[in-house]
Amino acid sequence: MMRFHTYLAADALLPSRIQMAFTLAYHVIMVPLGVALPTYALLMNGIGIFKNDPVALRIARRWSVVMAVQFAVGAVTGTILSFEFGILWPRLMGRYGAALGLGFAIEGLAFFLEAIFIGIYLYGWTRLRPKTHFLLGLSLPPAGVLGTFSVLASNSFMQTPGGITLSSTGQLLNVDVLGVLFTRSLGYEFWHFLIAAYIAAGFVVASIYAVSWLRGRRDRYQRLAFAVPFTVAALLTPLQLVVGDLSARALVVDQPAKFAAMEITWKTRSHNPEYIGGLINGAGQVNFGIAIPSFDSILIGLNPDSVAPGLTAAAADARPSIAEANITHLAFDLMVGLGSAGVVLMVWYFVVLLGRRRLPQSRWFYRTASLAGIGSYVAIESGWATTEVGRQPWIVYNLMRVDDAVTTAPGSFVWAMLALLLVVYAVIAIIFVTVLLGLVTRWRHEDERQLVRAPEAGAPYGPRPELAADGSVRSSP
Amino acid sequence: MTAVLASSTAFVLLLTITAYSVAGGVDYGAGIWDLLAGRGARADRARALIEQAMAPVWEANNVWLVLAIVVCWTGFPLLFQSVFASLYPLFAFALLALILRGAFFAFRHVWTGPSGRRRTGVVFGISSVLAPFFFAAALGAIASGRVAVNGPNTPVWQACFNPTSIAFGLVSLAATAFIGASFLVGDARRFGMPDMTDYFRLRAVIATAVLIITGTIALAALGLENSRLLSAMLIGLGTPFAVAAVIATPVVGVLLWRGIFHWYRVLSVVVVGSLVFAWGFGQSPYLLPGQLTIAQSAAPPGAQVLLSIVTLLVVVLVLPSLGLLVYLDQRGALESQEG
Repeated sequence: MMRFHTYLAADALLPSRIQMAFTLAYHVIMVPLGVALPTYALLMNGIGIFKNDPVALRIARRWSVVMAVQFAVGAVTGTILSFEFGILWPRLMGRYGAALGLGFAIEGLAFFLEAIFIGIYLYGWTRLRPKTHFLLGLSLPPAGVLGTFSVLASNSFMQTPGGITLSSTGQLLNVDVLGVLFTRSLGYEFWHFLIAAYIAAGFVVASIYAVSWLRGRRDRYQRLAFAVPFTVAALLTPLQLVVGDLSARALVVDQPAKFAAMEITWKTRSHNPEYIGGLINGAGQVNFGIAIPSFDSILIGLNPDSVAPGLTAAAADARPSIAEANITHLAFDLMVGLGSAGVVLMVWYFVVLLGRRRLPQSRWFYRTASLAGIGSYVAIESGWATTEVGRQPWIVYNLMRVDDAVTTAPGSFVWAMLALLLVVYAVIAIIFVTVLLGLVTRWRHEDERQLVRAPEAGAPYGPRPELAADGSVRSSP
Repeated sequence: MTAVLASSTAFVLLLTITAYSVAGGVDYGAGIWDLLAGRGARADRARALIEQAMAPVWEANNVWLVLAIVVCWTGFPLLFQSVFASLYPLFAFALLALILRGAFFAFRHVWTGPSGRRRTGVVFGISSVLAPFFFAAALGAIASGRVAVNGPNTPVWQACFNPTSIAFGLVSLAATAFIGASFLVGDARRFGMPDMTDYFRLRAVIATAVLIITGTIALAALGLENSRLLSAMLIGLGTPFAVAAVIATPVVGVLLWRGIFHWYRVLSVVVVGSLVFAWGFGQSPYLLPGQLTIAQSAAPPGAQVLLSIVTLLVVVLVLPSLGLLVYLDQRGALESQEG
């Protein structure tokens, strides 16, 4: 007990890492819809306007309400993250804030534009002419892309730092703005994540209407709301496989220790096998798992003679630990597996769509499609785990270690904060799900009874039905 | 050139803190009055008005907070490290209050039963009190001189909780209630609720008195702890803003007391803005009084240039679109009044 207490008071590193991982993993859930849902809503909005389709307009307007609700949650979880940089990693920001902050400063601008234009889009449905409303809405996708670029620019700096001049004592003397923003890994990190966001958002939205198909709803509303996001997401899956492959191969040069962890390679060698599953131990042996001889080397350079970097090429204290390497490897395998499953689903969909000129009608297709949403979120989480766990023990790759950046606050403080955050985040999740389910139930009810009401009436944010003079709330139009 | 850039970044930082104090203050203030409304038909009407007035905001005020954080760590990394290494408890508490507040505002809206609504409303109200208190206490802790480079020069808990930080927290509560009531008067008038206009008029006048009292106490606390800063606020760059706050506060009280509905909202913005400016300019050229100047903690020029560009873009892109959003919000209200 005594030892436990001493441990609690002494070390803030473990709880800080858990807290950062937890809050980031949670925030990442908000990101795909934040980045890509506006595009899908605008696509539907465009169909509605240019084909004069009231059903498409109704779908777009409902999606815009979901946009606003999830923006609010994302704004809160994002604000928490920005404070955690100070509460948990003050020394990181003290040393590299001027470089890391460049991307975040641009993100601040993007965040601002998103906040305002989501508001304008939500209010504009009844208060602007349809085309003006649509054109103003078109500023949302670029704002989402700008936000993605800026956050990924900051993350890429942590992976492959560049554009900085350091003094002999490691002080940051100068920053070259473009050099810091466009580091080596930005090219693949940015495209890989942007495509992932569009795939995940498309599949998760479509999966809701796949479920509604399974429950027997087969009208134009269901078909349209399923087909538009599903088609876009499916089209992007093979592209993602290519970008993902390029990313992995770039790591051989950019972050060899991370690549070694992803492939659980112990010693640098040619004819390196590819392990599917499997765990490496402290002696460098791989247990379980299926080994495909020389396949890793072939993936690296299309040649079994290609040399794959091993974990031992880096000093023991400068590479991921055994546990971290195994997490990185399994997360990587999971991501690749789910990505490949997405491609299979894409082929299935297009074979039916192009071969029979109609949407699939097999229950098994819609069962699979209804899992694609969750599957792509799991893929994003595991891809993110691959990137971040594989970067250990560095917070800024090869320049600053995580344990040199952590707060000097007592461990007990960070543990307590973590416990409170777990509770509070559970509450947020409950509210988020309650609000969304409430909206969905109400919309379904209205469709069945053919009621026409403003879709945002059940959301806690956005335009309100006007207050009557007696303080009662007038029923919405 | 570098010095000019760093000073302009410091000014941008002060502006974002001010914007958050004003926009967040209106919002938190509504939460405080929600908490204090009590029970009964009148309280229900007050809460309906508050909910109506706050609905368009949906956490967008956090943008100012995030901008302030980002400008701080990009423009003044050493300041950021020092402040957080010293005052992390205050920020953790403020953060928890901020999350609970947003969550329970939404929760109350979707909750159907009256007792559940009341309980969720209490959490919303209490967190509306705690968040501005802790944020302002952090500014007070900096003003007290206890935040030194790389960490506090006293134990962390003393750096966080001392006469100046607590006094700053109390002033912020009074100022928040003050600006919140003032804007709710405007909302009640806009929605045509004369009884609520009087209800919040009275509360704005009370908040004016409380603000004057807590402000005086805060000045006394600051005088005891950091007389250099106090004199810089009274005789120095902070002076015009201190004077503006001292004059504008009672003017708002008198205007609302006498039911003169002109300028009261602008003047309450002036009050809150002047209070923040009096602190900021009073401290200059120090970011941490007596410890760290703007020049000493300024990031390399590249970072300052990028921040200037982003600031310019915020002014060019964000302000007009914010104007459009406000216009749309108001226009809807006008339409329904005609109809």
